Amino acid sequence: MDLLEYQAKSLFRQMAIPILPSQRIDNLADLKGLKIPYPVVLKSQVRAGGRGRAGGIKFVENTIDAVAAAQTIFNLPIEDEYPQVLLAEAKYNADQELYLAVLLDPVARRPVLLGSRQGGMDVEGSIEQMQQVAVDQEFSPFYARRLTLKMGLQGDLIQSVSTIVEKMYRLFVEKDLDLVEINPLGISPRGEVMALDGKVTANDDALGRHPDLAALSEKRLLGGLARERRSPHAPSDRLNSNSKVQHSPRPEFDPKSQSPISNSESLQLIELDGNIGILCNGVGLTMATLDAVTHQGGKPANFVNMGSLERYDAANALRDRADLGLELVAQDKNVKVILVNILGSASKSEEIIAAVAGYLERKARANRHIQVVLRLVEIDADAVKKRLGQLPVQLASTLDEAAATSVSSAK
Amino acid sequence: MNLTPESKVLVQGITESPASTRAALMMKAYGTNVVAGVSPGRGGLEVEGIPVFDLVEQAVAAVGHVDTAVIFVDAYSVLDAALEAIAGGIRQIAIVTGGVPPLDMVRLVRKAEASETLVIGPNSPGIIVPDKLLLGTHPKEFYTPGPVGVISRSSTLTYEVALELTEAGLGQSMAVCIGCDAIVGSSFMQWLQILDEDDSTEAMVLVGEVDGWSEQAAASYIAEAIDKPVVAYLAGRYAPKGPSLGHAGILISSRAAAQKAFGVTTPNKMAAFEEAGIPVATRPSEVPKLLKKLLKKN
Repeated sequence: MDLLEYQAKSLFRQMAIPILPSQRIDNLADLKGLKIPYPVVLKSQVRAGGRGRAGGIKFVENTIDAVAAAQTIFNLPIEDEYPQVLLAEAKYNADQELYLAVLLDPVARRPVLLGSRQGGMDVEGSIEQMQQVAVDQEFSPFYARRLTLKMGLQGDLIQSVSTIVEKMYRLFVEKDLDLVEINPLGISPRGEVMALDGKVTANDDALGRHPDLAALSEKRLLGGLARERRSPHAPSDRLNSNSKVQHSPRPEFDPKSQSPISNSESLQLIELDGNIGILCNGVGLTMATLDAVTHQGGKPANFVNMGSLERYDAANALRDRADLGLELVAQDKNVKVILVNILGSASKSEEIIAAVAGYLERKARANRHIQVVLRLVEIDADAVKKRLGQLPVQLASTLDEAAATSVSSAK
Repeated sequence: MNLTPESKVLVQGITESPASTRAALMMKAYGTNVVAGVSPGRGGLEVEGIPVFDLVEQAVAAVGHVDTAVIFVDAYSVLDAALEAIAGGIRQIAIVTGGVPPLDMVRLVRKAEASETLVIGPNSPGIIVPDKLLLGTHPKEFYTPGPVGVISRSSTLTYEVALELTEAGLGQSMAVCIGCDAIVGSSFMQWLQILDEDDSTEAMVLVGEVDGWSEQAAASYIAEAIDKPVVAYLAGRYAPKGPSLGHAGILISSRAAAQKAFGVTTPNKMAAFEEAGIPVATRPSEVPKLLKKLLKKN
C-alpha cells in the first residue's frame, strides 16, 4: 500500500526525521486558517510520481493566490487520480538535493540502502549516480555511513545524512515497509538536512500487525470511492492501469486473532477490454491462461484469481466462492464466454462443476446468455456432460484446448 | 539434503485447520514418513497415528532427529515456527503458509544461511518426488516418476507444467515450488544446483514469470554453472503490467532504483534467457516438445 506524502511525513516525524512545518488542507476553507507564514508550497496528495511536472505543486505568496492554486490542484487528476487532500508546506531553500531509499532486494533477499547526490526530479535521469549498500547482516549504522561515503559525501554531511538513513532503516523494519524513500533530502547552505518529499509503501501482508497503517488503508478505500465518482473519464489505458475493483466485503480484522484475513481472500476483479472472462486459481496459472487466450487471438475481458484452494475449507465454501467469481467475471456485458481453469484435486473439481451448473441454471432463468468453457483434468467427462445436460458448457481437458474453444465461441 | 522416503518429517501446525490436518494425512498416505506433529496446546493428542507435541524439541526428543519440517502455522507465526525448527536441529523446512511479512523472511533467510538450513516457501505447495515423497500440498494426480526436475515460483502453474509433462510421457524426478511470496527462503539458483547434482534428474524446467527479477538472475546462472539441459517457461507475456498480478514485481515501486539496485539493464526480460541460450516455451504445452529436443541432443 502506497502512503500519501503527508502520511509518510507523519511517520518521519515520529522517527525524528526533520520535516518542514506543514498543514493538511482538506478544502479551500482550510487555507484561511493557515498557520504557516507565506510563501507556501501547495502539493497535490496523490500517489503518482512526477507531481511537479504535472502541475500538482505550486508556490503561493498570499491567501488569494493560495485559494486559486488549491482550486486548480484539487481539479487536476494526476495519472487519473484526483487529490482528496493537499499539503501546505513552508518553502525551503536547498543548496543541494539528495536521493535516499531503503527497500528490499527480492533476489538477494536483503534490505538495500540506496543513495544519490543527484536527487529531486533528475534522479531517474542520472541513474549512474545511484549508489547501493546491501544490509547483509544485522543492521548497524556503519551500513548507512558506508552508503554516504559511496555517494561521495564529506565532512559533517557523512554523519548527518547517515543518521537520516539509519532512521529510515529503523522505520522500514519497525513498520514492515516495502519502501522508504526521501527524494529530495534538501541540504541547506548551512548544512542542515530536511526531508522535502517522501514516499512510503507499506507491505500489505504485514498490515494486520500495524493497526495504524491499516487505518490509513481504510481511509484510502473510502477516498478511492469518492474519486471514482468524480473522475470524468475512464482510464485511457486500462491494460496498464491497476484498476482494481473490490466487490466482496473488505478484509476485516478480527481482534482475537493476530493475523488478518488475508487480502487475497476477497476476490478481485481485474478489468481488461476483451470479451472472454477468466476464472483461475493462482497467479502463475492466471497469467498462463491470459497468455493462452491472447496467443489464440482472443481478448480477455477481465479475470478473477481465486488464489489457493486450500483455504476454502468449510462445506460448500469453494462452490460459493467460485459462484461469486463467475458473477464478478460476467458483470461486464461484453463477456460472451467465461473460461474456468481451476486446477486442484478431483474433489475440488466436483465443487467447481457444481458452481458452474448452479450459476448457468440461474442465468438461463434470467435470460442472460453466456457460454462457459470448463477446463477439467482427470475426470470422467461423460459423467460430467450428463450432469450438465443442456447447459451451455463446453469441456476441455488441456489449457490449449480450453483457450481455443473459448476464442472460437467468443467470435 | 535428505529427500528419501525414509527421511523423518514433522508437521508444524498440524491441528491449525482442517486443511492442515488433511494435508498431513495426505503426505502420510503418499508414503512420507510423518513422525510427529507440533501444535502448542495440543501435546499428547494423536492425529490418526501421528503423535502431536507442544514443542519441536519435545517431538525431537521422542522420535529422534527430524530431517524436514513442513509448516502450516498462520503467517505471523511462521518465522517463530521456523526458528523453532532450526533450534530443534531440523535443516530442511517447507513453508506452505502464504502472506508472510517480507522482513520476517529476511530474518529467517539470514538464520537459514548461518545454520545451513534449506528453506522453501512461504506460499508453496512444497516438494514432490513422484511416488516417493510429498512435503506439502502438491496434488498427486498430476505427477509421475521420470527424469525431469521442475523448479517453479508458482503453485498451480507447477501442476499445469507437470501435467503437460506427464501426458507427453515425461515423468518428473522432483518438483519444487520455491514459493509465491515476494521474499522466499531459497533461490532458483540453489535448486538448479541441487537438481544438477541429482542423479535421477536428466533435464530441468524452470517455471517463472516474465517480470520476475529472480528468473533473470537464474538465466545467467544457468549459462555459467548448469550442465544439464534446461527449458524455461515464463508466464505473463500478455498479462497486464503493474502490481495487479505478479509475484515479484510488487516490491519495486521505484523502477529506476530497482534497475540500479538489481542490475537489470534491459526492459526485455526474455533477453536474459536468449543470451543464455535457454529455450523459452511460449505456453506450457511447448515445454515437453522443447525438452524432448534437448534430451535427444544429449
